[in-house]
This record gives sequence, structure tokens and C-alpha cells, in this order.
Amino acid sequence: MPRQPLPTVLRYLALGIGAFGALLPFAYMIANALKTYAETVTRINPNPFSPAFWPAVPQWSNFAEVWLGDAFGHYFLNSFIISLATLCGSLATSSLAAYAFAKLRFPGKETIFSIFLLTLMVPETVTLIPNFLVISALGWTDRLAGLTVPFLASAFYIFFLRQFFKQIPDSLLENARMDGASNLRILWSIVAPIAQAPLSTVAFLDIASSWNSLQWPLVVVQTPRWRPITVGLARLISEEGPQIQLRMAGALISLAPVVLVYLVAQHQIVDSLSTSGIKE
Amino acid sequence: MRRNRRIRYPGTRHGLSEAISGYLFVLPAALVLAVFGLFPLLYNLYISLFNWHIKRATFIGLGNYKEIFGGLEPFALLAISTILITAGCALVGKKRKLLVRLLALALLACGATCLAFGLPQINSSGDPDMLRSFRVTLWYSLGTVPVQLFFGFLVAVALDGKFDGKQTFRVIYLLPYIVPAVATAAVFERLFSLRPESWANQILALFGSHPLQWLREYKGVLELLFGLAPTHGVGPLSDYWSTWAAGPSLSLVSIMIYNYWVFIGYYALIFSNGLAAIPRQLYEAASLDGARSFTMLRRITLPLLSPTTYFLTILGIIGTFKSFNSIYVLRDPSTGGATDPMSVYVFFQFFHGGRFGYAAALSMVLLVIVVGLTLIQERSMGKRVFYEQ
Repeated sequence: MPRQPLPTVLRYLALGIGAFGALLPFAYMIANALKTYAETVTRINPNPFSPAFWPAVPQWSNFAEVWLGDAFGHYFLNSFIISLATLCGSLATSSLAAYAFAKLRFPGKETIFSIFLLTLMVPETVTLIPNFLVISALGWTDRLAGLTVPFLASAFYIFFLRQFFKQIPDSLLENARMDGASNLRILWSIVAPIAQAPLSTVAFLDIASSWNSLQWPLVVVQTPRWRPITVGLARLISEEGPQIQLRMAGALISLAPVVLVYLVAQHQIVDSLSTSGIKE
Repeated sequence: MRRNRRIRYPGTRHGLSEAISGYLFVLPAALVLAVFGLFPLLYNLYISLFNWHIKRATFIGLGNYKEIFGGLEPFALLAISTILITAGCALVGKKRKLLVRLLALALLACGATCLAFGLPQINSSGDPDMLRSFRVTLWYSLGTVPVQLFFGFLVAVALDGKFDGKQTFRVIYLLPYIVPAVATAAVFERLFSLRPESWANQILALFGSHPLQWLREYKGVLELLFGLAPTHGVGPLSDYWSTWAAGPSLSLVSIMIYNYWVFIGYYALIFSNGLAAIPRQLYEAASLDGARSFTMLRRITLPLLSPTTYFLTILGIIGTFKSFNSIYVLRDPSTGGATDPMSVYVFFQFFHGGRFGYAAALSMVLLVIVVGLTLIQERSMGKRVFYEQ
């Protein structure tokens, strides 16, 4: 960079302090998830570089206690099923619609697209009460359908994918049409492979948003049957009292899958998040 | 639509089948978005006109809105001023004729006058809990957005250019933003607990300070720091203004600290994209002219980065009006709502209070604010529109 480059030492010092701050809460989470209850009150050195920040002997049994005793295993599976169902549905509906908006011509296309975009402005708080009443009327409270169906389409994903689909040259599609391929076939075997990067970005965003969601499941789930892990964790925090090590073990379990996917697909996720402006 | 037919498919038959495919492809998404995205807007408006306590009861028209704003008159004044100011803003523009600009000015002045008459009435007779949640939202925006912008920019500068380990730092900085807020808020709920052995109090102890209540503290930070106790009984507005003077509660400040932790890395990434897009020739030319680095920062970097700054500002403010997950975990009922922004207040009116009609009316107010902010953002971003999920 021609603007005077930062001195290397200064740069790494600044970035190191920042990274320390970003990672400290995770260190606290791991350390306390492995402590005994007594240690969470007595071994409390605030410096993560001191051995007294960490447990004397890691208590791996805390995870078993949360997984079985607090039913986190069950909630984990619930969240997994909910995320998977939402992912499949929204990926299908969004890529179909994005393909139509990008590559097909039909009357009223632009109008329909801008009506879709309107839904992006509406905060969840506004749709919460009417959607709860609709879901109740359908008898979908405490059921998988109630947790997934409202999220089976997203105007944001359609908007995001449409931009990429538009860049695919028409000639590729025309050739396939000449060979008698249907639009569905073209979407599946030509467009989807080319647009793998944006499609996997959408997939990650969708997994993260359904795995992390709290407000909607709080409202539509009353029994443990379909309770997702976020609600389970929120309940553990408010009910478990002083059992810090169990809360931290629960928190660690609930963020593990998201972190795993993130680390595997880090390059793509960091790049697409920093260019697209997306928020929880 | 210059090219109405494809060259290879001149017949109308193909046009028709293409249109049918188009509608069929859009249909599934359209159904979901219509039922769960658009219909709720109308239905919410309908609910807000009823005395709806879990079950629908009587139609009360604007009753819920009157309760929020303390009567029909302040509500009407606020609505009129909103319309006037919106119209005024829409007409303002450098290329307009003088007459239009004068009209815009008149509209803005009328709007401001209505607001000036309406606000004191809302202050004195509106729903005090709504006013508090609005105040919390404003403090929350003011306390988080500038700090995140400043530190996000600093980190972006440190991240700029090519160096070893860049990707690792980027991954680490985005980590707090990616993971479930419930899980990380659970950590901060411990870090900032009122116990003397909590992490925050240990740090205070290093400096020889007494432990604080942190997330349990309903008192304002200015009150705690300077002893600005709220005064009572000096005129009709004194209670209201003195609660402003006490500053945001320490519990809210603790939540803001959590927010910094989540968002500074995200802001830094967006900023570093903005920095990378600035043409380097500008800096070369400036340094040939003998400009110092501070001058370059002020004359080149900051102006060219302003769209990014602007985008992050509005996004941040909208975020405070929508925030829920972290506050649901971090709030303590004993603070009496000192940490609850509007979105959380609406949720509790609905979910715990069972006041569906009233909560729906409150959420319509929230909708107007968020849509207003979004429109401002889109208008000024021009073609480079960013959308929120």
C-alpha cells in the first residue's frame, strides 16, 4: 500500500490485542465448561495465560451431564433437523425463483421482484404476532412445520442468487435448450454447478440463521418435543442457577457445529460476508 | 424489454411456455413470502385495532395507539409531522427548482412545529414503559454505533495490505459475529455478573475498585460516576429529563460492551473492503504533492470511505431497533426494563403480558421507524444498495 505501511511490529501488536479480545470469551467458555462447580468459584484468575484461569483437571463429564441430564442431545438433534429441513426448502425455493427472475421472461416479473424485496424491510418483531396466530390456527405449534415453513423462502437469498445467475451467459442456456433441456434441467445441471460458490454461501447463512434463531422458537414451542438448542440453552441459563460449568458446556455444544462449518468454509464465508452486508 | 422475443424462438408458443415456467418457478417462494412476509403486515395492523388479550375482544380503533402516545392529539400530531417531514425530505434536492425547494422547506418547518407540540404531550401522558424502551434504544444506538465505527476502522487499517497471517486474523475477528448470540451472551452474563469473583469485578479489583453490579445495575452510568441523581418535582418534564441526565444504565452499558465484542470485527471487515477499493494512485499523487499521512487520511481515506461508514451507521441503528437474542439472555428482570429496547419491550408485552393488540400497535410504530431508516439508507446509497437478511 502506498499510504505509509504500518510498521510490522505495530501492526501485529494491534492485531494481537484485538485477537486476544475476540478469543477471550471463548477461552472463558472452554475453561469453565471443564471446571468442577467449586472451581468456577475458586479458580478465577482473570488472565487466560495463568494456569489458574483453567481447571486443575478437565471435567469432561460436564458435557455428558448437559447432553443427557439436560437433554441437550435431544435439542441438538432437533436443531439439526430444523436447520436441515429449512436449508433444503429455502435453497430450492430461492434458486428456482432466482433463476426465473434472472433468466426467464414473464409479464410482471419486475413488479413481483420488487414486492419480494419489500419483505426485507419488515423486522421480525412486526411479523411475530400475526405469524404466531396463523401458525396456531393451522395447529402447527410444537410441530416441525411451525418451526420451518415460515422460513422456507427468503427474499434476501433470491436477491443474492439472482445477481450471480444473471452473470451466466445466455448462450450456455440456449445451447442446452436447443438440445431439448427443460428449465429445471438447465438450473440443475448448468446453473447450479457454475453458481456453487454463491449457493454454498446461501447455505451457510441459512444454517447459521436457523441454528441461531431464538425469538420465533420461544413463541411457537412450548414442550421439549421440538425445542431447539438455543431455547434449551436460554432456559438452562435462567433455571440452572449457579451451575456455571453446565451453562458453559451447553454453550460450547450449541456453537460447535456453526464454528465447525465456519472453519471448513472460512475463505468463502469471510469474503461473502464482508461484501454483502448481512446481519442476524 | 427491447428484445421482446428470442431470435431462436420466434413463435409465441415458446414465449407462453417460458412465462408459465417463470410463474411456476416463482410460485413456491411467492406463497411463503406472501403468507409469512406480507400478509402479516395487514394482519398486524388489523390486530392493533382491537383490544386483543390472547383472544380477540372488542374493536377499539386507534385505542392502542392512543395509549402508546397518550391521547389522540399527540398521536395525530406525530403522524402529521412524520408525513410532512417525509414529504419535505423527498422534495429536497440540489437540482430542484426554487419554488419546490421553498415548498420543501415549508413542509419541514410545519412538520417540526407539529413535532414540537406533540413531543411534550407524549412525554407527559404517553406509555412510560414505551418511552423508556425508546430511550434505551436511542442510548443503545448512540453508545454502540460510533464506538464500533471507530474501532472497526482502526482494526481495518491494521488489516490493510498484504501480510502473513491476514486470513487467520480475519477468521478470528469474524468469529464472535458468526456464532449463536445465545451462547456468547451466556458467557458475558457470567463475565459481567454482580458476584465479586466475576471476571469484570476481578479486573476492577486489580485497579483497587469496588465490585459493581454490572448487568443488575439499573442506575445510570453518569449517576454512578458523577452522582447525578435524578431530581424530582421541578416542573412537568423534570422526571423525564432527569432520567436522560443519568445516562444509560450500567446494565445497558454492559450489553453495549457485548455488542462491541460481536460487531467490531464485522465492521472492520466491511471497512477493509472499502479501504481496498480506494485507488492507490490517489495516495501516490498526494504524496508527490508532499501531503502528510494525516492529510491523506482526512482528504482521501475518510471521504472515499464515507459510503461504507454511512451503510454501517444505518445498519447499526436498524440493528438496535431489531436486537433481541443477546438482550433476552443478558437482561435481568430486576433492572425494571433498563436494558430493554423497543423490540424486547414489544416481545414481553406480547409473550408475557398477552396484550396482542397493544404489542401489535407498538410493533407498527417500530415498523415505521425501521422502514424510514431503510428508505433513507437506500435513497442515499443510490445504486449500491445493500440488503439486510
